[in-house]
Amino acid sequence: MSQRLPSLLLFLALIAAWEAWCRLAAVPALVLPPPSAVLATLGSEIVSGRLWPHLAVTAAEMALGLAFGAVLGLGTGILLAESPRLSRLLRPYILASQLVPKLALGPLFLIWFGFGMTPAVAITALICFFPLMENTFTGLTEVDAGRRDLFRMLGASRLQTLLRLKLPAALPVIMAGLRVAVVLALVGAVVGEFVGGRAGLGASIIAAQSVMDTSLIFALFVVITALGMIVYEAVRAIERRVLHRYSKG
Amino acid sequence: MDEGGTPPIRPSASLGTTFPARGKEDPGLAARCANAVAPQDDEGAGLRQPALDGQAPFVAIENASYRYRPAGPPIVDGIDWAIPRGAIHCLLGRSGCGKTTLLKLAAGLLLPSGGAIRIGGAALGGPDPRIGFVFQTPTLLDWLSALDNVLLPVSLKRRPRAADREAARERLALVGLGDLAERRPPELSGGQQSRVALARALMGEPDLLLFDEPFAALDAITREELQDDLLRLCALRGSTALFVTHDIAEAVYLGDRVAVMAAGRIVHAQDLDLPRPRPHGLRYDPAFAAACRTLRGAMDGAG
Ligand SMILES: Nc1ncnc2c1ncn2[C@@H]1O[C@H](COP(=O)(O)OP(=O)(O)OP(=O)(O)O)[C@@H](O)[C@H]1O
Ligand SMILES: [Mg+2]
Repeated sequence: MSQRLPSLLLFLALIAAWEAWCRLAAVPALVLPPPSAVLATLGSEIVSGRLWPHLAVTAAEMALGLAFGAVLGLGTGILLAESPRLSRLLRPYILASQLVPKLALGPLFLIWFGFGMTPAVAITALICFFPLMENTFTGLTEVDAGRRDLFRMLGASRLQTLLRLKLPAALPVIMAGLRVAVVLALVGAVVGEFVGGRAGLGASIIAAQSVMDTSLIFALFVVITALGMIVYEAVRAIERRVLHRYSKG
Repeated sequence: MDEGGTPPIRPSASLGTTFPARGKEDPGLAARCANAVAPQDDEGAGLRQPALDGQAPFVAIENASYRYRPAGPPIVDGIDWAIPRGAIHCLLGRSGCGKTTLLKLAAGLLLPSGGAIRIGGAALGGPDPRIGFVFQTPTLLDWLSALDNVLLPVSLKRRPRAADREAARERLALVGLGDLAERRPPELSGGQQSRVALARALMGEPDLLLFDEPFAALDAITREELQDDLLRLCALRGSTALFVTHDIAEAVYLGDRVAVMAAGRIVHAQDLDLPRPRPHGLRYDPAFAAACRTLRGAMDGAG
């Protein structure tokens, strides 16, 4: 706790400076609301219960997109690592699919999937796919030759080598990919809602913008950031538990 | 590996006649070299070297060669070698002379570009469960306990039973790690990891053990302890072993017969007439020093 104290103090100082500047320089609330106003808005959104459905929608999109993207990325990574032929054939296309700006796909997804959660889930999945695939592929192909020779000597089948050697050995790299994917999932969900969302934190930002409610936009930033931090820390905790068996001591 | 790369199997009839004969009368180029360099070595009198009359050697490397690239130089260049059942042979050579490559050929991890490897008379076409390989690094699985690492040869075949666990614990106790069975490799010292790897190689009850400088990274005293462990374990089951090292004293201490390899060929070989089991203090014996000196001369001569 004492290690976090300086970081907490800095946060309070920044908030105080922001509040002071807003009051002393008489910044219009439309441009930059003071933290006290943001807090008040946030409080009323929470108390009135208007916030929760949006939070739930965004969290659901995030979870679904992450699940689809991660499973697909993991599977593709395994497939490409196990089949160099397939890898040579498909990698340029996979790379191309990642180089297309995801936001630019938004309008297209809107046409394909209509308004609602689906386009946001699709964008999130597409974004989460890549770090998982890339890390799975790298992790699996980097298993050292000595251990592979060991499994050959022990007469292990290809499936056994994958399940008992390659995947466990690659797990730290795969988990690092998952950590990146989780952060990107939130970006994907919010951005997806910008384009075609009816509900959710991203859609709420667009709605707040249309009525020039700057302090609501800030309040939503706070919620999105908090959501991201909670999910990230949760993944870190899972990672520590899973990788506990790999570490020294 | 594709079967197309397997060299044609030579008719075994020719083998039956050449091999027993070679053991008795014609020791081959390598052994002739040995006699030239080591006159004190009365040939064929290796203590544990059983007579080969009427039976093929357990391991027969017949004119084996290997190239990593078809157009590249041969890394193993026409090596003939025979190991009788129960013997421990050592292979000495400088870094890069092709020792690991030869060992991988003997293990079936690589298939020879020319010649053949026979184990118990049958040509080797790939990795064989009868062969245990102890690699240059311990190659343990970090996410498993020492015990589960030792159990790996069994657990890849079936669910380990209580008896298997007991056997694995026994092996760990034999290499002096009885108390550390539940530790994971990252929590073990380098020497302890080497011991786990040794115990694991013995778990599959292999008929042939191949060692690739397994103790190279250890301090002298730990290495001597492990050498004694190894000899004890081999003697227990009468295992056949081929041990690669660049340490002359290690080769002399362990081997019934020692060969020197240079540039992919065997340039010298000699039997060692030292007592078994190795007595305490053998390392300071004049006969031991003489053997080391001869081998050193052979290695220097090899360039
Ligand atoms: N996979 C490979 N592809 C191409 N060349 C290789 C490969 N592995 C080894 N070589 C070459 O073959 C030669 C012999 O290598 P090898 O590993 O058998 O040597 P070594 O005698 O075991 O050496 P050390 O004592 O350093 O382990 C070296 O010149 C090396 O560069
Ligand atoms: Mg080597």
